[in-house]
Amino acid sequence: MMIASMQGVVKRYGSNIVLDYVDLAIDEGEIIGLLGPNGAGKTTLIQTLTGMIPFEKGQVTLFGDVKAPFSNKNKEKIGLVTQEITIFEELTAKENLQFFAGVYGLKGEEKKNSVQEALEFVGLSDRANKMPKKFSGGMKRRLNIACALTHRPRFIIMDEPTVGIDPQSRNYILEAVKKLREEGTTILYTTHYMEEVQAIASRVVIMDQGQIIKEGTVDELIKTIQHEEKVKIDVTDAGQIPLNKLESVTGVKQVNVDGNQIMIISEANSGNLDRILSLIKAHAGVLGIQADKPNLEDVFLTLTGKQLRDKVGEE
Amino acid sequence: MRVISTMKFTFFRMVREYITLLLLLVVPIVLLTVFSFVLEGVTTETGEPLINEQNVIFVLVFQMFGGALAMAYIHTDFFTERKQRIYALPFNQTLYAFSIMVCGIVYSVLLGIVLMTFSEFVFGADWGNWLWAIYIIFLLALLSNIVCLIFTFSVNNFKIAERLSEVYGVGFVILAGLIFPVPGNDFFVFVNTYVNPITLAADAIYGMNQSHAGEAWFRSNILLIASGVLFIVMLILGKRKIR
Repeated sequence: MMIASMQGVVKRYGSNIVLDYVDLAIDEGEIIGLLGPNGAGKTTLIQTLTGMIPFEKGQVTLFGDVKAPFSNKNKEKIGLVTQEITIFEELTAKENLQFFAGVYGLKGEEKKNSVQEALEFVGLSDRANKMPKKFSGGMKRRLNIACALTHRPRFIIMDEPTVGIDPQSRNYILEAVKKLREEGTTILYTTHYMEEVQAIASRVVIMDQGQIIKEGTVDELIKTIQHEEKVKIDVTDAGQIPLNKLESVTGVKQVNVDGNQIMIISEANSGNLDRILSLIKAHAGVLGIQADKPNLEDVFLTLTGKQLRDKVGEE
Repeated sequence: MRVISTMKFTFFRMVREYITLLLLLVVPIVLLTVFSFVLEGVTTETGEPLINEQNVIFVLVFQMFGGALAMAYIHTDFFTERKQRIYALPFNQTLYAFSIMVCGIVYSVLLGIVLMTFSEFVFGADWGNWLWAIYIIFLLALLSNIVCLIFTFSVNNFKIAERLSEVYGVGFVILAGLIFPVPGNDFFVFVNTYVNPITLAADAIYGMNQSHAGEAWFRSNILLIASGVLFIVMLILGKRKIR
């Protein structure tokens, strides 16, 4: 079942097009990793999808509802984890969750249980009655997530939930997302951390300058840019190996030697590694093999010509 | 109905704002105490202890700043990063903003009642009919909240809105002649008889105490009508900013 979709959505701020005819469809149970650099339009896409901001053109559908996608009935099925920490600092962790549970119409035992479950889910049960002012950044982030989970939404939108936190808290959050995935929750997860998307997403959507420039599974995306394979082989004595024979192996495009390391560049999916290794083993011992595979960062670089993240000041 | 469930938490948030509590409760108590010692034995022209009048004025003056809390909360919830979360919630956002204002008024009135109790039982101030005094304090708190929210919805820079709310409070304190004497010309007499919320509220309380019920009702009705008119202005401005 289709949970959410955007068709030809255009959003402008003055003359600046922030969403440029965006088409996106999210099926039930999917974890969509929405990847893009700062300013790509990820947050605007979320704000449009949740009805927070109006858009100029196009259509948004939520839970099959075209006429009133942003009705309270539909909002009840969505949990939004904001990019900024938007918890109430003057309320305890438990009170924060009670506030949101009440807004989502939970009452009595159901409310009590769901608040408790949400606290346990993010590992804050022991701090239920503490003020978030005294929490670390990671704990505040976890509470920020819990606030969107108390009503057990069918569709969770997470807008860069791991920005500016320590590795432990990030792992905790990623594990929590995996747990939600196992429970069948549909998640739209935006980030500019490639490794997070690789770890959790069933489908990746790459955005840049307000446009969705590519989508697919991680493997599918990598295949689109994978024209070559690079293998580095450490050998006992590179001088003994007949390089001309290596160069004549089917698919091999280039052979370079650096000390006792041989670097072979082949056409993608040429399946020649067995033949290369037998040739080398006939003349020298093999100490190690290292295959350089492209990752999402390379995909992004190829598609947009930019790095996914600024390298300066990172972590 | 879901908005009602949030009011308890909005109230908790307000009560836990210790700086506000300090400014709107502790500071007036300290000032009331100091002035009660300073003015001990001093009487008015009618022979009434001057401290009675001063106590009433003090409590009313601090009500003028009661709207600051609702103003800050509306700003935080609707005009900062939190607005994304608030707008994603399945409730009426306008009603939620209204509930914050109601909590602000209730909180302000409660602080006023605490100050009334303190001044009456510790320093023997005479508030006369308590229900009437509480009604006047309510009107002042209502007006203060409405005016502060008008400032919040009128300007884009919240700091400016805050300064304007201070000008509203301090301005009328000055016009009332509480900081230094003001000239007794027609302008000041008119302002303090028909416009200044502090003098209107004070006159309404004194009037009722001195059995001038008609005069007291007249003054309180000015406050009530002003609140009504400004409420409509606030609603129009608020609708433009809060969907």
